[in-house]
Amino acid sequence: MIIKTRAAAAMLVAALVVSASAAFAQKPASKIPRAADGKPDLSGVWITGFLQLLIGEDEARKIQQGDAAAGRTLPPPEPAPYNAEAEKQRQYFLSRRGIDDPMARCFISGVPRITTRPLPFQIIQMKDQVLILYEAHHAFRIIPTDGRKHPDDLDPSFLGDSVGRWEGDTLVVDVIGFNTKTWLAGVGTIHSEKLHVVERYTRDSADTIRYDVTMEDPEVFTKPWHEHEIFRLRPGERLREYECIENNEDLLRFEKLLQTDPALRAK
Amino acid sequence: MNQRLSATLCAAALLTINVSAHHSFAAEYDANQPVTVSGTVAKIDWTNPHIHFYVDVKDASGAVTQWKFECYPPNMLVRQGWKRDVTLKPGDVVTVYGWKAREDPALGAAREVTFADGHKMTAGPPAGTGGR
Repeated sequence: MIIKTRAAAAMLVAALVVSASAAFAQKPASKIPRAADGKPDLSGVWITGFLQLLIGEDEARKIQQGDAAAGRTLPPPEPAPYNAEAEKQRQYFLSRRGIDDPMARCFISGVPRITTRPLPFQIIQMKDQVLILYEAHHAFRIIPTDGRKHPDDLDPSFLGDSVGRWEGDTLVVDVIGFNTKTWLAGVGTIHSEKLHVVERYTRDSADTIRYDVTMEDPEVFTKPWHEHEIFRLRPGERLREYECIENNEDLLRFEKLLQTDPALRAK
Repeated sequence: MNQRLSATLCAAALLTINVSAHHSFAAEYDANQPVTVSGTVAKIDWTNPHIHFYVDVKDASGAVTQWKFECYPPNMLVRQGWKRDVTLKPGDVVTVYGWKAREDPALGAAREVTFADGHKMTAGPPAGTGGR
C-alpha cells in the first residue's frame, strides 16, 4: 500500500513537473507572432541603434526603462579586432574626424551598418524569402530562404548577397560579395572584399528581435567581430522617403575643409 | 547634455559604434565651441540629408548677421514632433543653441531651438556623435 501510494505520489509529481515544464516552454513561444509555416513572423517596421537620434530622448528613455523592467540586456560592445595594418588605417580615418565616411557622401551603407542607421526598416516575411526595406537610401535586401546558395557570378556590391535559413526559431542570414566602399559601423571601420557577415534574427518577444551579427574578414581582423542589437517594433510607423543626395552640402564643405583645415592638410 | 549621456557618447566614440545620422559631427563642427544666438528665422530648407534654417541675428550696433544652422533630416525631426511649415516658420523669433562650424563663421549645428513662448524643440544630435 505504502509502495503504491509512494508510486502514485511520484507519478503525480512527475506529471506536475512535466506539465509545468511544458507550460514554461510554451509561454515564450505563444507570445510571438508566427507565420503559417510555424516560423516566427519577423514582419513589421523596426528601429534599432542609437534611438535618441530617431525618436528623441524621452521616447528612447521609455524603451530603456522597458528593457530594465524586462531584464533585457546586451553584451558590452566589442572593440573592432583589427590587425596592425588595418588599425593604422582606422586611426588615419579617425584623425581626419570621419570626413572620409562613405555615408557622408550618400553611398548606401553595407551590412550591418544599414541596419543600425537611425532610420526605420520594414521586414516582410514570405514563404520562401524575407524582404528588408530600409528607409535609408531606399535600400532593400531580398533574402531567399528556400535553400538556394549564393550565386557563383557575384560582383562585389555595397549590400553583398544574402541567403537565409532557419535554425529553429532564428533566421540566419549569410552575406558575402561586398565591395570595399562601405564602413561596418563607426568611423574607419573598414573591411575587404573577403568580408563574411552572418546575421541572426531572433524574435524574442512580441515587441523585439534580438540581432546578433558576426563579421569575419581575414584581411583586416585577427578574430571575428560581434555586434548585438535589439530591434524595436514600431506599430503605426511607416517608412518615409530619404533621398540623401537631395541637398548634400557636406560634399562642398568637405572639399573646402580639405583645402583650409591644417589638421586635414597635414595628413 | 547630462553626464550620463556624455559618458555613453564617449564610450560609443571609443568603440566606434555607429551613432551618426549622416556624417561625423567632428568632421564639420567643433564640440568645444558652443554657440547660442537669438534672432528671426529668415528661411528654412526642408531637405535631406539635413534641414537647414537661417536666422537673422542683430548685434548691439544693429548690424545683422545671417546664421545658418544644420539640423536632423526631415524624417527624424518629424518623428520627434516637428511639422513642416508649422513648427518653424519665417518670421519666428527663436534662440538657437548648438555648436560652431570649423570653417564657416556663421554656420552651426543646431541642438535645440527655443521659441518665443518658451517651448523648446530638439533640432539636432548631441556634439560628438559619429566617431569622435
